[in-house]
Amino acid sequence: MDIFLQQMVNGLTIGSLYALVALGYTMVYGVMRLINFAHGDLVAFSAFIGLSVYAQIFGESVTSLIAVITVFVFTAAIVAFVGVLLERLAYRPLRTAPRLSAVVSALGAGLVIQNSVMLIWGPNMKIFPSNLFPATIWEIGGIVITFTQVMILGLSSVLMVGLYFFIHQTKIGTAIRAVAIDQDAAKLMGINVNRIVMIIFIIGSSLGAVAGLFIGTYYRGVTFDMGWMYGLNAFVAAIMGGIGNIPGAMLGGLLLGLFNAMITGYISTQWAETFTFVLLIAILVFRPTGILGETVAEKV
Amino acid sequence: MMNKTSLIAIALLVFMGFFPLFVDSAWLAVGTTFLVFSVVALSQDIILGRAGVFHMGHAMFFGLGAYTTAILNVNFGLPILATWAPAVLVPMLVAFVMVAPIIHLRGDYLLVATIGFNIIFIQVLENDIFGLTGGPNGLFGIDVVRVLGFDFSSQTHMYYMAFILLGITLFIMRNLDKSKFGRAMFYIHKDEIAAQSMGINVRYFKLYAFILGAGIAGAAGSMFSVQYSAVSPEAFNVTQSIMFFTIVLVGGSASLPGVLIGTFVMFVLPEMFREFETARYLVFGVAMILTMILRPRGIWPVRFGNIPDFLKKGVK
Amino acid sequence: MSEYILEISHVSKYFQGLVAINDLSMKVKKGQIYGIIGPNGAGKTTLFNCITGIYRPEIGQILWKGKDIKGSNPYKIAELGILRTFQTIRLFAEMSVAENIMSGRHIKSKQRWYNGVIPTPAYVRDEKANWEKVGELMDFFNLTEYATIPAGDLSYGIQRRIEMARALAAEPELLILDEPAAGLNENETLELTQTIRKIQEMGVTIMMIEHDMEMVMSLSEYITVINFGAKISEGVPSFVQDDPVVIEAYIGSDEEDEDE
Repeated sequence: MDIFLQQMVNGLTIGSLYALVALGYTMVYGVMRLINFAHGDLVAFSAFIGLSVYAQIFGESVTSLIAVITVFVFTAAIVAFVGVLLERLAYRPLRTAPRLSAVVSALGAGLVIQNSVMLIWGPNMKIFPSNLFPATIWEIGGIVITFTQVMILGLSSVLMVGLYFFIHQTKIGTAIRAVAIDQDAAKLMGINVNRIVMIIFIIGSSLGAVAGLFIGTYYRGVTFDMGWMYGLNAFVAAIMGGIGNIPGAMLGGLLLGLFNAMITGYISTQWAETFTFVLLIAILVFRPTGILGETVAEKV
Repeated sequence: MMNKTSLIAIALLVFMGFFPLFVDSAWLAVGTTFLVFSVVALSQDIILGRAGVFHMGHAMFFGLGAYTTAILNVNFGLPILATWAPAVLVPMLVAFVMVAPIIHLRGDYLLVATIGFNIIFIQVLENDIFGLTGGPNGLFGIDVVRVLGFDFSSQTHMYYMAFILLGITLFIMRNLDKSKFGRAMFYIHKDEIAAQSMGINVRYFKLYAFILGAGIAGAAGSMFSVQYSAVSPEAFNVTQSIMFFTIVLVGGSASLPGVLIGTFVMFVLPEMFREFETARYLVFGVAMILTMILRPRGIWPVRFGNIPDFLKKGVK
Repeated sequence: MSEYILEISHVSKYFQGLVAINDLSMKVKKGQIYGIIGPNGAGKTTLFNCITGIYRPEIGQILWKGKDIKGSNPYKIAELGILRTFQTIRLFAEMSVAENIMSGRHIKSKQRWYNGVIPTPAYVRDEKANWEKVGELMDFFNLTEYATIPAGDLSYGIQRRIEMARALAAEPELLILDEPAAGLNENETLELTQTIRKIQEMGVTIMMIEHDMEMVMSLSEYITVINFGAKISEGVPSFVQDDPVVIEAYIGSDEEDEDE
């Protein structure tokens, strides 16, 4: 039972990270029908930016709420800018091209980001400062919860709920949904599609940046090529939930995090990825468009 | 009647035929691998460029062929020649069993499912299932091809065997494009509902593409394992699949010259710029983006209208 | 076997609880030209999609020569000899006109599974015969001069002809035309009328949705009028034309050009 609850906490933590990254994939897909393969590398990039921001502003050993907030805000802003730049340079010129051309462009962009990180920060693993968050640990009924885990769970929940209300309650949110349903019609209704796409990339990249920083604080070690692994898991989560569907990405992320934690806790770490993809394929066999994805009949 | 394309094709064929005579052994190895990768890329193109199925796990079929030869030769002592047929058939069978249940999935869902198969395949190899695959190190000491007491053991032999394999593959692709099977794939690719309404069984022809593509990739894999006399999992991982996927789209999907150019650009060029070790892939990424922006349909896009001459007479 | 080759009986089709076709029945005689008319959104195209297997109606039967084909896969229905055109034109736009028409020869082609890889003498004969048939159809529809041109680059009227040629290439018993005259000018419509007559003379049964009343009344031997998914009238053109229910339905609706 202890293992179960402990793995549940760990799983939800990882799941929240997947969900944050998955939201970036799913929002871009929803509006542009593009799998943004560079998104995972952007997440890795965020972790390194966070490290540099922290070192630049605070030296090496400051722990304070202000330091943490500053790092998060600066990193999110820089990564959001890079995300918007990415869209401008690599995706916008291909909006009317065959869909797979944009996918290749995204793969190329991923290579560019990943290798830039390697050239700037070097090929070796970098270690996150241990004092970004207090080392407080709670023990409740035999399970251990760290301060970092609480922060991850808390902040991701706030961000996800916030995003949900943003999409469903605000004017911009309505415009985003309109563009997702029919870009041409939205354009005719006076919606500036380019602006919506920009907003999508700002939100998606910022969420990815938060996830990248959390990955750094949670696992401590970060490498230039880690984006692939997190990106793939988050992408799988988005597909499981039904790509293009925002609650689906959250659900998929949490589900995948929990499932992974249970598999590694009870069965095996060697076969973890195999289990992940067996689950994914099983879901797709029974629900071809994911758990919350809608089955849209093509109009004839 | 000689058009420009066939002149280029013949010139290239002659060049490739005499290539081993004026290069050193390092470049001969690059040339051989270029031929093998071309075959894999062409077989990927059957699935991706012709049937239009988003498939990003092709290195698995390539690896299945390589490992079939390696396992049968190293673990069971079969001569290489006897492993050829299994190396083609095993990937075909796996393609059928794995892909049949998910062939109806929409594009991007199928893409991630095929990535999944590739990742599962790599884990199976790394975990040394049944003690057959040699784990993360793979298998060593694969034999050379021996026929009636003659050993095809030199690099030049390897090169010409790969050359013949590419020739066979091009012959198959040409027949495919001029048959109802290749056309059915194109129709499905361009408009699935219209294709169905013309009596085309979408499921059948998508599976046909997968199984044919898997078989050809398996043959290339077998050759690859003999060329390096070793196999290891990382040669067949998702990164390799992404490379084959990209080769097709950068070169020009469904275009034979396009895919060959794609293989050259994505595999041989990076070999030429080895000295720029670190910045190499950065430039490469930029080049991928620029190619797609400037040539969204690839460097040498496919040209349709490949119809018998007697039908062209009325064209003004 | 009865004199009807297609019998639609009490078919209903729902979309998310909304009824698109409501208890529709009709019978098509072999060799007939059968017209279907009705205001926009009446469910005419949905009916065609049910016949050709793209949709599966929840209730009712669709009998083809006495056998229920409801819910069969579209390709199986095409194999039975029921071929169609689309209201919104669905050609393989990047492919040449000849290749587009060749897709109609798919079900007639006798190539075996291995002919995708290896040619055989039988394959060569089959391939040649099918291309020759494509040539004949291009002559019939005046398309020869466009043989190598991508279908998507041609004008609307020509594209409609390619679609008909493609369907006819499969040698259908029943040809289903979804607004064949939409977007055509007067001359083209006149040409089309003659073409449809010639196709009927070949022994092909034709069902068509059409908004051009002059054309549909002159061609059809029998007409069913649909509104809100249900049949409101049927009969020979002269009867339907004067049926007050039909006049009421058309006056009640604003537009007559576009279907759902």
